[in-house]
Amino acid sequence: MKKIYLHPLAIRIWHWLNAVAFIILIVTGAQIRFGNVIHLFSFETAVEIHSWTGFILIANYFIWFFYYLLTGNIKIYIPPLHHPIEFVKKSIRQAKFYGFGIMVGDHNPHHPTPDHKFNPMQQVSYLMIMTALIPLQLITGLLLWDPKLFSRVVNLVGGIQVIDVIHVLLWIFFSAFIIVHFYLATLGHTTFAHIIAMFTGYEEEEEEEEGHGAHSH
Amino acid sequence: MSDRKNILIVLFLVFIIFPIFPLFINVAKGVLSDEAQMCLGCHSNKDMTKQLDNKETLSLYVNGDDFGNSVHNPIGCAGCHSDISMENHPQVKKIKSKKDYIKNASNVCKNCHPDQVLKKKPMHGSLIAQAKSPSCVECHDSHSIKTIAGWKAGISENRYCLICHKHDLSMTLSNGELLPLSVNEADYKSSVHSNLSCGVCHRDFSKSEHPTRGAKSRKDYTADASKACTMCHPDDQLRKKPIHGSLINKTACVECHGSHSIRKISEQKIGLKENQYCLTCHKNKISMTMKNGEFLSLFVDRSLIQISVHKTLQCTDCHTGFSKNVHPVRVFKSGREYSILTSDICRRCHADASTRYEGSIHLSEIRSGNLRAAACTDCHGFHLVIKTDKNLGLISCNKCHGEMNASYEASIHNRARIKGDQNAPVCSSCHNAHDVQATKMAAKIKDACLACHKNAENSHEKWLYNPPIRLRTFTELHFNTVACAACHAPDAGRGIYLILYDRKTGKPLPEEELLKLLETDPTGLKSKIDINKDGIIDSTEVWTLFKYLYTKGVTTSFRGKMDVSKPTEAHQIADKTKAVKDCGVCHNPDSPFFKDVFIVIRKADGRPTVFNAKQEVLGKDLKSVYTILPLSKFYVLGSTNQKLFDILFIIAFIGGIAVPIGHISLRIITSPLRSLRRMGKGGKK
Repeated sequence: MKKIYLHPLAIRIWHWLNAVAFIILIVTGAQIRFGNVIHLFSFETAVEIHSWTGFILIANYFIWFFYYLLTGNIKIYIPPLHHPIEFVKKSIRQAKFYGFGIMVGDHNPHHPTPDHKFNPMQQVSYLMIMTALIPLQLITGLLLWDPKLFSRVVNLVGGIQVIDVIHVLLWIFFSAFIIVHFYLATLGHTTFAHIIAMFTGYEEEEEEEEGHGAHSH
Repeated sequence: MSDRKNILIVLFLVFIIFPIFPLFINVAKGVLSDEAQMCLGCHSNKDMTKQLDNKETLSLYVNGDDFGNSVHNPIGCAGCHSDISMENHPQVKKIKSKKDYIKNASNVCKNCHPDQVLKKKPMHGSLIAQAKSPSCVECHDSHSIKTIAGWKAGISENRYCLICHKHDLSMTLSNGELLPLSVNEADYKSSVHSNLSCGVCHRDFSKSEHPTRGAKSRKDYTADASKACTMCHPDDQLRKKPIHGSLINKTACVECHGSHSIRKISEQKIGLKENQYCLTCHKNKISMTMKNGEFLSLFVDRSLIQISVHKTLQCTDCHTGFSKNVHPVRVFKSGREYSILTSDICRRCHADASTRYEGSIHLSEIRSGNLRAAACTDCHGFHLVIKTDKNLGLISCNKCHGEMNASYEASIHNRARIKGDQNAPVCSSCHNAHDVQATKMAAKIKDACLACHKNAENSHEKWLYNPPIRLRTFTELHFNTVACAACHAPDAGRGIYLILYDRKTGKPLPEEELLKLLETDPTGLKSKIDINKDGIIDSTEVWTLFKYLYTKGVTTSFRGKMDVSKPTEAHQIADKTKAVKDCGVCHNPDSPFFKDVFIVIRKADGRPTVFNAKQEVLGKDLKSVYTILPLSKFYVLGSTNQKLFDILFIIAFIGGIAVPIGHISLRIITSPLRSLRRMGKGGKK
């Protein structure tokens, strides 16, 4: 087994903060929305936790943003658009692995390195999530936090209802995504391989055989 | 022998009886008895008087000629003054007053003219029954009483009538009213009718005729008496005069002109101040008929004017266009129209209040045709204008808004007022006194609350904020969208009012403009919005309206506000410890505050037209997606969730779990394949 240092400390801290914050926000979001059926907290408590966590998530986003911006490693999120056909082929091959190859004992076609951390599917989805969906969720959350303070932006977008629709649809997406994401994290060469790697930073790879792809970003 | 006898009889008659006959006649015609002459020895002195107990001076003078010619000469002085004899006269006799003396003296008359006999005579009978009736001597005099025939023959008709009617006589009418029968002689003599005898007007009466008449009431009597006027002043002649023309058959002549003291109008005007002149007629219960058949009372109660703050004003200060010389005849549709039009006169002195009234909901309502809305006189009165203080509204507002009173009386505001808190709000404190505003969802009501509760935003900010930063904007957001009463009247029902706004102007789309866009009038507005005519507006109807207006070039949005759903409950402001402070009460999908939903179209002057809407427009139904765009500017966390997204969340959540479960299941199912493959490559491990 060889070890690859895949996850720098800053990214690991960001990741786990992000993960915990996401779960808290999803749960408190559900409490705020379904106050008539969910009774984990009072409305006030749910809002308080949600708001505090939201600001932590915003701050946390900047850890990720500045780390990748300053190190230049942001490129790992950028699909090789100059080789589109090859990228599509690789994507299809990756999808076939998760949908079929993994069932019959095929090896993961993607071998992560610090410069090529994500397989093509991860690359597309994480790029979308990190540069569009999370910022959008953070911004809409911020606007909902005090709609009067940001009334100009709220009105420019079309109104608070529009902001809420975006925020809620993304909440729905992230609720489903986080479950799938957690499951995919268990698809390393062992169930906890990727999860442990996200704590230690080192991803283990079998030397004689092609290793598994990482499912973190 | 017989001749001698006859001669003796003739001589007896000639010398004995004839000389005595003139003597007998003389006694009857004025020859006083010895007794009377003896009395007159003193009482013929005109200066003979007596000081009475009440300091009045009673004349004891008796005109001997008058007494001699009176019907009572034969009975002498002692016939009436039976208590006086030469043995005991003069004696000290205490007499309280002239009136008392006259009354006692008149009692002597009953010795010869008992009540039983007098009661049979109509006039005397009715007078005897009256406690205040004049004594016998007040009409018939004392020492110069003549036979009735002689009495009548010797005096004019008017003199004859006044003998009784100069006294304080009255007659009780069927309804119990007292009709005065007294006539002021001086007034009559100075009247324009002084040359007429009483019988000209009182046609059935004369010196020889005095029928007994009755009347149901004074009004009936005066109406009947006024008919006599038409003999000289026929209706045709009066109709030519505008005011008389309008009053004929409605008001009796005597009500304005009086009865016995009628003077020439020109003389009357000169002698009277303007107000007095007006009251000549308007002190009477006169009225005018409106076009709708209503009677408008033109009666002015002088006693009210005297306590009015306007008591120093002239009638014409308010009743412009009128004077002692000008009295236009005006016609109004109704008494209400008259009140409203005349209220405009107040502007002349109260310009500031009138200007503020211009912006009131009351004037807006009047302009829209609701004449029940308040004009100046409805609150301030007209002839009795009382000094205004802040509590005026508790009376005047309640005339129309009485249903609000119970909740106000139960409020902490009223309790504070009763305790004597000078700052405790009354009606005008919140609703304004003259520029009274449409209250429902009115921002100005919030301003009224904040005018007293100046620290309200600070105190709310202490708990009404969104962590981690305490911002005023968050408090303001609630202040702008939630009426104070919605939280501070805890027993009130609440509702959501969705007000149609024009996004371009940022202001409510005026109903007047909406009507043009919808090509309808106010009566057709509801049917244009409530397309299926079920009486309540649903999501698709909101969308249809939004879409239609968009195609007409007007982009709209509904902005929501929470307010109490019944205005009567809005006044029941409770102690602040009872106010709604739990966020979860509102921010909950099952919050009762979001069950009543209303669509509000505001008129240009702010008055709302309110339609009921289904709760689904707030997102409670799959159809509610239609309202996402129309209600793009209204969303309440936890309360106005779109049901579609709730379903989507459940699907996504279940889907998110289903993917791993499905994948794991496939992996389990396919694990033998992987085992075979590993064995094929590397053998069983």
